[in-house]
Amino acid sequence: MAFAIPKIDYTGKIKPITLGKGPKAVNLGQEDTYPFHLFEGTMPNLPKIAIEVYDIAPDEWAEAALEPYKDVVNDPVAWAKKAINEYGADMICLQLASTDPNSQDASPAQAAETTKKVASAIDVPVIVYGSANQEKDAEVLRKVAEECEGLNLILGPVQDLNYKQIGAGAIAYQHTASANTPIDINLAKQLNILLGNLGVQDDKLIIDPTTGGLGYGIEYSYSVVERIRIAALSQGDDRLQFPMICNLAKEVWKTKEAKTGDTDLMGKSSKRGIIMEAITAMLLLLAGADVLIMRHPDAIKVVREMISDLTA
Amino acid sequence: MDKKNITFSPSGMSIKVDCGENLLQAAMEAGIHINASCGGTGACGKCRVKIISGNVDSPLSSMLPQEDYNAGYRLACLSTVRDDVEVEIPIESQVDRSVLVKEGQKFDQPYLLSPKDIFQLVQGWDVEPTVFKKYVEMEPPSKDDNVSDLTRLINAIKKQHDIKGVSTDFKLLMKMSQLLRDANWKVTVTLVQTRRGYKLINAEQGDRTHQNYSIVVDIGTTTIFGQLLDLNQDVKAACADGSCDGSKLFALAEASDYNPQISYGEDVITRIVYSQKPGGLKKLQEVVVESINNIIDELLTSSGVDVSLVSHLVIAANTTMTQLFLGMDPKYLRLAPYVPTANLIPPMRAVHLGIKLGDHVHVYIFPCVASYVGGDIVAGVLGSGMFQRPDLTLYMDIGTNGEIVVGNKDWLASDSCSAGPAFEGAGIKFGMRATRGAIEEVSINPNTYEPMILTIGRVKPIGICGSGLIDAVAQLIQVGIIDQAGKFYRDLKTERVRKGPDGYEYVLAFQKDTRLNDDIVLTEIDIENLIRTKGSIYAGCKVLLQSVGLDFKDLDRVIIAGGFGRHLNLEKAMFIGLLPEMEMDRFTFVGNGSLLGARLLSFSKELLQEAERIALMMTNLELSNYPSYMDEFVAALFLPHTDVNAFPNVMKRLPVKR
Repeated sequence: MAFAIPKIDYTGKIKPITLGKGPKAVNLGQEDTYPFHLFEGTMPNLPKIAIEVYDIAPDEWAEAALEPYKDVVNDPVAWAKKAINEYGADMICLQLASTDPNSQDASPAQAAETTKKVASAIDVPVIVYGSANQEKDAEVLRKVAEECEGLNLILGPVQDLNYKQIGAGAIAYQHTASANTPIDINLAKQLNILLGNLGVQDDKLIIDPTTGGLGYGIEYSYSVVERIRIAALSQGDDRLQFPMICNLAKEVWKTKEAKTGDTDLMGKSSKRGIIMEAITAMLLLLAGADVLIMRHPDAIKVVREMISDLTA
Repeated sequence: MDKKNITFSPSGMSIKVDCGENLLQAAMEAGIHINASCGGTGACGKCRVKIISGNVDSPLSSMLPQEDYNAGYRLACLSTVRDDVEVEIPIESQVDRSVLVKEGQKFDQPYLLSPKDIFQLVQGWDVEPTVFKKYVEMEPPSKDDNVSDLTRLINAIKKQHDIKGVSTDFKLLMKMSQLLRDANWKVTVTLVQTRRGYKLINAEQGDRTHQNYSIVVDIGTTTIFGQLLDLNQDVKAACADGSCDGSKLFALAEASDYNPQISYGEDVITRIVYSQKPGGLKKLQEVVVESINNIIDELLTSSGVDVSLVSHLVIAANTTMTQLFLGMDPKYLRLAPYVPTANLIPPMRAVHLGIKLGDHVHVYIFPCVASYVGGDIVAGVLGSGMFQRPDLTLYMDIGTNGEIVVGNKDWLASDSCSAGPAFEGAGIKFGMRATRGAIEEVSINPNTYEPMILTIGRVKPIGICGSGLIDAVAQLIQVGIIDQAGKFYRDLKTERVRKGPDGYEYVLAFQKDTRLNDDIVLTEIDIENLIRTKGSIYAGCKVLLQSVGLDFKDLDRVIIAGGFGRHLNLEKAMFIGLLPEMEMDRFTFVGNGSLLGARLLSFSKELLQEAERIALMMTNLELSNYPSYMDEFVAALFLPHTDVNAFPNVMKRLPVKR
């Protein structure tokens, strides 16, 4: 008898969502198999890469990360255009760092204005992330939702204490909610249920399970992303059958390893951060991520090669 | 008893109740909402109903104008059912039709479990108290019969009552010679059954056999309960009509109080830590003994029994409480590998611990199983009778520590989870024990969000007890005031949901309807505490069952013990995910399970051996060794549960998506 490859019996399928609009809109979801298990099922929509754009010029970035964007860090619109035109971003993730109460504490109106400017200037989907201060994000993202009606943004992080405010804004102005929980499958499911009860439709919801960088908790992230995918596909858990987004660049590039200069032990700093970002991204892809929020063009290149190799 | 039929219009729902039942209570049982905010005292005047036909006894009330009275309106809380009646619910209390349809799909009937008939749980034992009295007469000593006083007494006991192998308490010898002569050689002896045989502990003049009392005490982490038992009561007479109420059986008096050790730490761990401070252990022992003495005092005063007639003290407590009560250093209970000083505690004199009882009184302490599975749970298992039956039973003791046992007559496995004292009223802003003035039942109108509350003793409320909390949270979620995470929706049109000093809250009773100078509210923090408590218990059950390869559906029976109230609304307990969704008839509620076991043990010396057998056969699971517990716990921190498939009936009844 010929050898038959054992196959997993899937009972679920990831729900489809569409981000953005027009010809560059991005479709996610619909996979009915574990990542890249193309011998068992299909992945109609391959994972996408969003490039980070900050609304204020970043300080304390590693030299390697700053280099590709040196000329555009003071202009989010130009930054976004460069990311799309030169580095092939499928999406833009606008990080509203200025709104952090511990930083500039920029007003919701200012944030909304920047968002509108960026989103109107480009044709790929825009992910808008607040500062993860729950109270402030509730105000900021509500305002952004309102001012950018119809642009089908992805708003996040939507968390347990502000999901009602941001969720309501997302429903009213037709945006997608990125439901963020601290690396726990049950908490992820609970927030999805709560958003569903609030009236967020299944095609307007994406899971952000929280990402740890390489060496800083990637094992936990990997495990939770993988478990969410297993529950969705093999255990038919309806409330976890959503695409997942991993906000990884921030985590990788803030580490000591990414920021330290050249050393004998750790080698060249110009390569180190890039490799760490690439490996973090690859791991998360293997676990089940659908959208990667990334920073360095070289890391992105490596990850794209990996995706095409695994789907060739 | 005479049954009367009550029909409520416009819903058409009807219920059969005993003649003499209170109308508001009957409505609550039928699942009919009638606004009522004063606990059923006639003070708020909100529970107006119209009697269409039939008779109720109902006085005039200042809250009800004469012309309304003449038109057939009555206050439901003041009305006693005497006839088959038809009652119309006025518009302000009605719920709209769409809600009625949903209510119609609920479980067959709201199921209130009261601790009844639990006496029958344990089979095949005779009333033969561990401590008993016998009357003996002796011939005075003479020249021909000059054996010692003690030998004379022992021989008389043997000859007249066929009791052999009696040892004697040394203390008794000190007074014996004079006592026997004063009594003219006619005395009543008190004997106690110990592991090694009988021990003679006391002698009294004349025939005092008709007065023999025992005190049982459950030392909980949060609450101490005590009961005074009359050991001479005849069981058959007490159970003649087959309607024994196990919670009261043979108990002449009961008393309870918060454990005063709370001031030194809310849970067992912080108390163990406190005991390590200089003088800490002594302090903890003293305060708990003082509180037990107060309870004993209260029991004796309210029953009129003289302290000299109490012959026995039975204590059931968790391992930490046991060691603190005895003044034994609990340090190693907290340090891996978590070992108690002793599981079987030898009997000792009550006076040596500072207990104010006769100096002949010995203390029997229920044997413990492990550091976090104590004598209280052994007593509970004894009282539940699960150690005798072949069917698979889950026993849950819902206290500050949730203790859970699964098994049958052949095997028992247990675990223990730190649940928190929410169900006993601690850690809840207006929480209280299930005593007079506690809100014990709650219903909320889904349109107006007006509550219907009933209190223990039908007096104006002063707080809320565990059963009221379960009801309230179940109703808050069912009518859509809170979300499944237990957080308030903040855009509801009602003055009852508001922002208070501790965050958002729901007003159960405004100040004018209470006996406090404050509104009685349930806060978001209270609800969080309740969710943590129920989550930890549910997860404890789940992991225990998983560890022996079982699931809730495999259980034949679930026995629930706990001090949260006089009864438990199963439907609502399932609604919040405290209990698994199962057929109602598999559940039994025993109230305070440890006291039940302690009471039975007082009456039967056979059960003394059984208690030890139970302690020895129980296998304890240390939850800290099960990583899945944390996962199950987080999954259970949701209403009813993150695994919605485990609660299909509850999910059907949750509010439609907003």
